[in-house]
Amino acid sequence: MNKPVDNQAVFFTGRHYLVLSMLLCFLVGLIGRAFYLQIVENEFLVDQGVQRQIRTIQTPAYRGAILDRFGSPLAISTPVDSVWVNPSEILQNLGALKTVTKKLGLNYSRTVSNLKEKANKEFVYLKRQLKPEVAESVASGVEGVYLQREYNRYYPAGEVVSHLVGFTDIDDQGQEGLELVYQSWLEAQPGSRRVIRNRKGAVIEELAQVKRSHSGKDIYTSIDMRLQYIAYRSLARAIQYHGAKSGSAVLLDSRNGEVLAMVNLPSYNSNQRKKMTASQQRNRALTDVFEPGSAMKPFTLAAAIDRGKYNQKSLVDTSPGWFMVSGHPVKDIRNYGKLDLASILRKSSNVGASRIALSMKPEELWQSLTDYGFGEPSGVSFPAESSGYFRHHSQWQPLDHASMGFGYGLSVTITQLAKAYAVIANQGRELEISLLKKQVDDSQKNQIARHVMKSSTAKMIIEMMEEVVGPKGTAAQAAVTGYRVAGKTGTAKKSIAGGYDEDDYISVFAGLAPASDPRLVMAVMIDEPSQNGYYGGTVAAPVFREVMSNALRILDIAPDDLSTLQARLSPKGKGA
Amino acid sequence: MTQKYWFALLLAFVLGSALTVIYVKHESRVLFSELRTVQKQQDQAVIQWSRLQLQNSTLATHSNVEAQARKTLKMRLPETVQLVELP
Repeated sequence: MNKPVDNQAVFFTGRHYLVLSMLLCFLVGLIGRAFYLQIVENEFLVDQGVQRQIRTIQTPAYRGAILDRFGSPLAISTPVDSVWVNPSEILQNLGALKTVTKKLGLNYSRTVSNLKEKANKEFVYLKRQLKPEVAESVASGVEGVYLQREYNRYYPAGEVVSHLVGFTDIDDQGQEGLELVYQSWLEAQPGSRRVIRNRKGAVIEELAQVKRSHSGKDIYTSIDMRLQYIAYRSLARAIQYHGAKSGSAVLLDSRNGEVLAMVNLPSYNSNQRKKMTASQQRNRALTDVFEPGSAMKPFTLAAAIDRGKYNQKSLVDTSPGWFMVSGHPVKDIRNYGKLDLASILRKSSNVGASRIALSMKPEELWQSLTDYGFGEPSGVSFPAESSGYFRHHSQWQPLDHASMGFGYGLSVTITQLAKAYAVIANQGRELEISLLKKQVDDSQKNQIARHVMKSSTAKMIIEMMEEVVGPKGTAAQAAVTGYRVAGKTGTAKKSIAGGYDEDDYISVFAGLAPASDPRLVMAVMIDEPSQNGYYGGTVAAPVFREVMSNALRILDIAPDDLSTLQARLSPKGKGA
Repeated sequence: MTQKYWFALLLAFVLGSALTVIYVKHESRVLFSELRTVQKQQDQAVIQWSRLQLQNSTLATHSNVEAQARKTLKMRLPETVQLVELP
């Protein structure tokens, strides 16, 4: 049995070596090939592999939102996708380009010629800022067409708060307002990662984070949208009713200097800025200056009382109702005779205020008014903010000195005026105005703030200003039922080149409430009212009343004048 | 002789670790794809959230609320006569 096997083995020996040598040849071939791939062509092949598999992709990051003090959005970013192509890639795949342009509603031939022009570039936008689903349906599965995540800025409150918030451009850079001021805080920095993709383009592994993405931080402004809206609505109504050119109003919390509302008209919708004009775009409350007129008188009086020149009982002789300063008359509308300080404010006597101003040295008056914030930046950081126009006392002419007393010869922004009234409301203490929500402990900081006016003086001025809003005053229309209100009107002629315009006025009202313990300060300015009156008391004071009465109610501030409420209660009995 | 045992042991370790590498790599890819799915969901959620926020603020515009309150619900401010002061 064994022999045949041996014979067979012998028989097959030749073949055995043949097969073996063939296998050896294959092996050598394989080793050669492996050597070629791994050593000779290694670099090229790795490179190709990386090109096919490894991608750097963007990690999205969003711009911070701008919120009101309770967190409702004033400016918010929503994701959108922009479609981009690499021209040299897509131009080899014109069929795909045709469908893509059709889906995007672009002109095919124009797109092609445009891309040919930019053939040396690697990144060309086809269309920007599409809804994510739309963009996805256009670009998915098409080679050479890519998406980039971007964010579109949306302003839910629109024109009510557009001046304050401002806007961004298409590249998410702040251009105006708070968007510009706090650009670096809000700004988002998209990151990038290196990833491996499989044949289908899905990411299967992350290799490294090249750059961390940083989303922007949110900003809580001090604005209360409820009050902002009411202020906007009231101002808009008044401007329309009086046929005025423009107007601004500022509402401050007099305890910590937060701006609760700041409105301007005309306004624009920040979501649709194509028709926007420069005149609509200005945040007039901070950029536009005007001569405050009589609204300045409380400060003249405060400066004089602070220096002990006058007290509540002093009388100022204003007869015969006018006097001359370097050839120019200072006039009242009639001869008021001898007036005490409260009556000077109530009747708004120019002669009285002027005499009081002249009783101080120019440097004294200048120092006090500067302390109250006139001629100084208001302290909010805002692009193109004006510090007003208030000359140094060394440059004053006698007429400047006299007219300063009743608010001519200097100009202010409505925010500066509101801030100065807030000094009175804050018991004479300096106040830091802020467009951002303050921390709670800031109110304690306020307790140690510098007194720029004695608290006794501030109290006296408030009492006098209450009479202005009283039934005999110039601003009875500013009264709010249930609350004691103090304020002062101003009706100033507009200064034009070489003098004053006799027909164009600025109507101002600034005031505070509740007078017993002031919480809110508001200043209203309406430019060139042309119908239904032009006095500050008839044009600006009603806006003050409407906004203030709502604000006091909304902020739950207790009435401090129950007598007026009682008077209303009595006719219907006490059954309530 | 001991050397041989050592060799066998190390060989077993090497093979074991090689297999573990394969397994862990696979596991990491599975987990990574899960992570991607979750990230995509998060992205979608963010998109939806910002859209809802917008929708909310559009519907809750103060002018809109005021109009609804006054016209549809016939609401008005209480007169002072109806106010009661609590001690």
